[in-house]
Amino acid sequence: MQVEKFYYDNKTVKNFAYATMFWGIVGMLVGLYAALQLAFPSLNIKEYGTFGRLRPLHTNAVIFAFVGNGIFMGVYYSLQRLLKTRMYSDLLSKIHFWGWQLIIVAAAISLPLGFTQGKEYAELEWPIDIAITIIWVVFGWNMFATILKRREKHLYVAIWFYIATFVTVAVLHLVNSFALPFSMFKSYSWYAGVQDALVQWWYGHNAVAFFLTTPYLGLMYYFLPKAANRPVYSYKLSIIHFWSLIFLYIWAGPHHLLYTALPDWAQSLGVVFSVMLIFPSWGGMINGLLTLRGAWDRVRDDVILKFMVVAITAYGMATFEGPMLSLKNVSAIAHYTDWIVAHVHVGGLGWNGMLTFAVLYWLIPRIFNTKLYSKKWANNHFWLATLGIIFWAVPMYWAGFTQSMMWKEFTESGQLKYSFLETVTYMKPFYIMRSLGGALYITGVIFMLINLYKTVKSGKLVANEEAEAPALPKLGARQAGEKWHTWLERKPVQMMVLSLIVILIGGAIEIIPTFLIKSNVPTITNVKPYTPLELHGRDLYVREGCYTCHSQMIRPFRNETERYGEYSKAGEFVYDHPFQWGSKRTGPDLQREGTGNLKKSDGWHFRHFREPSSMSEGSVMPPYEFMLSKNLDTSSTKAIINAMRTLGVPYPKGYENIANQDLMKQATGITNNLLTDSIRISPNKEVIALIAYMQRLGADISKPSK
Amino acid sequence: MFKFIKQYAEKIDHIEIYPLISLVIFFVFFIVLTVYVVKMDKKSVKALANIPLENEEPNSIVQL
Repeated sequence: MQVEKFYYDNKTVKNFAYATMFWGIVGMLVGLYAALQLAFPSLNIKEYGTFGRLRPLHTNAVIFAFVGNGIFMGVYYSLQRLLKTRMYSDLLSKIHFWGWQLIIVAAAISLPLGFTQGKEYAELEWPIDIAITIIWVVFGWNMFATILKRREKHLYVAIWFYIATFVTVAVLHLVNSFALPFSMFKSYSWYAGVQDALVQWWYGHNAVAFFLTTPYLGLMYYFLPKAANRPVYSYKLSIIHFWSLIFLYIWAGPHHLLYTALPDWAQSLGVVFSVMLIFPSWGGMINGLLTLRGAWDRVRDDVILKFMVVAITAYGMATFEGPMLSLKNVSAIAHYTDWIVAHVHVGGLGWNGMLTFAVLYWLIPRIFNTKLYSKKWANNHFWLATLGIIFWAVPMYWAGFTQSMMWKEFTESGQLKYSFLETVTYMKPFYIMRSLGGALYITGVIFMLINLYKTVKSGKLVANEEAEAPALPKLGARQAGEKWHTWLERKPVQMMVLSLIVILIGGAIEIIPTFLIKSNVPTITNVKPYTPLELHGRDLYVREGCYTCHSQMIRPFRNETERYGEYSKAGEFVYDHPFQWGSKRTGPDLQREGTGNLKKSDGWHFRHFREPSSMSEGSVMPPYEFMLSKNLDTSSTKAIINAMRTLGVPYPKGYENIANQDLMKQATGITNNLLTDSIRISPNKEVIALIAYMQRLGADISKPSK
Repeated sequence: MFKFIKQYAEKIDHIEIYPLISLVIFFVFFIVLTVYVVKMDKKSVKALANIPLENEEPNSIVQL
């Protein structure tokens, strides 16, 4: 058979490697800063640098910029070598690389400016969403075309994970980003309330599954055997691992919504599949760790293997914890607390971070045809990172548990023992300790950057690396005696279609019933659409990222109904585009903020927004003084009302033309109220709209029905 | 406590069948997969597992 000569493209790999390092340090520093803001609220920067705006910046940067570029680095390196061919098109590689970086830059600018859809990890507004779709297709096109021109008959298991990643992320992104644009940079989610929540957490959970897990498992299946210089422990296990994992993951989303207003059957479905997920996850972890059987002596000396062992162990811990957290009784304790934040960071810092570092240390010297500058520095990095993870996670587990216990504690006479504020101030030392852990971890990353910089300086990039392989003879239909999976393993398109079917089954059974059956979200006659002023206020609530710290979902527990009032009903959210249930209570729940014993005067809200600690001593909420001087943009009212009507909110015909009159009337009512509290402010300021929204929260359901 | 949730879940006819369908689908899928994998040819499995180690790059002498 004729041997062909070709060249691997290392330049694109290098670019993605540089990008993952650059965005990694940026994303982590933003995270550290946001963590410090929770302990020292004076660090909140007026308007553009509040916690509510920086937190989405941190999560998006770390997920899509750090891990995203890490995925592409590993895929571009391993795919070429596993298929014995160069990437299909240098141009597509280039468009993919620069397109992705532009998207990240757009995110880094638009998030601090307050352009957000208000859905976690899907905050980016519609023009960026479209750009993501295009670049993702470019990536898929480049990958599939490369697979089609390969010189290796079979697709190694790592490539299946890449294919599943591509196809599932595409489906998730498209379904969840479905929104109605009403201006250049703003849109409303197509779904409302319960449906929006279900779609969002189906997306949110599977973003973890198919962006942070499956591509990295692909990297593990390639780079671990390479670094250990031995094949994976059990290839058969990897087949079971792959199919069971992608099948099960897609069902598990509702475990983010236990005890909420989501239908019970959907919650139960989420729990069962989440618990089953432990088997494929641990199958993968065991497969990874056992690959090192007989090579454990090398782990002592080889820093890359050390990073990999910690990464795989962290994966194992996080995927054990995940199913446990999905049990309703555990979720009852952990949900809304810092426990979840700790869980996420074991995965992020441990699994994604450590594996990325291992791949970088492995790959940079190779593509630069040199040696790593300092093994000692890499070892120091390893210890700083490992200790950093421990110092990060332990205080947060402690904090989460303490928080939950304090929220739930009653005195002997049946009163709640702690005010919410007491539980907030109690957390501050934990937040400081966690920041120290983060600082250690980042110091390690800086060590790596210096080390790899020196490494790069000592070598020269082999931009086009020479390789040889025999051409692949044409293989048509399934051959006699060929098993179907063996056949499938050389059929990338069929593989993709089958992966798609497998993930669609779960998604469909979960989501379709909620959409088709109207009675699934019972309407409550008292629940009426928001007034124009309240709609504007809600947009401001979304813009400021209030959902990053406040929930609007009261679970049916005695301590929650005592603290916040009547538990939440699905029918209360039918006009909420997007839903704002939140997932974390750094501050209290706000769903009944405008009613019952939680109701405060307009003046209280005004003073609280201006300087939260003046009303709640020790509050860590950022001040929103700028909203007192900023004018509300009422020119968009018409577009907003029209958009809401298109989405099914029953505003009467022609209302968009008179909406601003109603808006001014309501605003003047509030300013008059404020006057009696000796506060003088004009009615067209942003803070007035936000106060109107606060006062509306929960008000509908407490009205007597007519 | 859950009368509200139950009340509207009941409005979906035969709702109890959903989790059952899901479980059956996965169970069948998993059993077929396991049987298939167990019956796989050992030699070809070994060859597949060795794909990443096959093509040693020219500069693979690089050691840390």
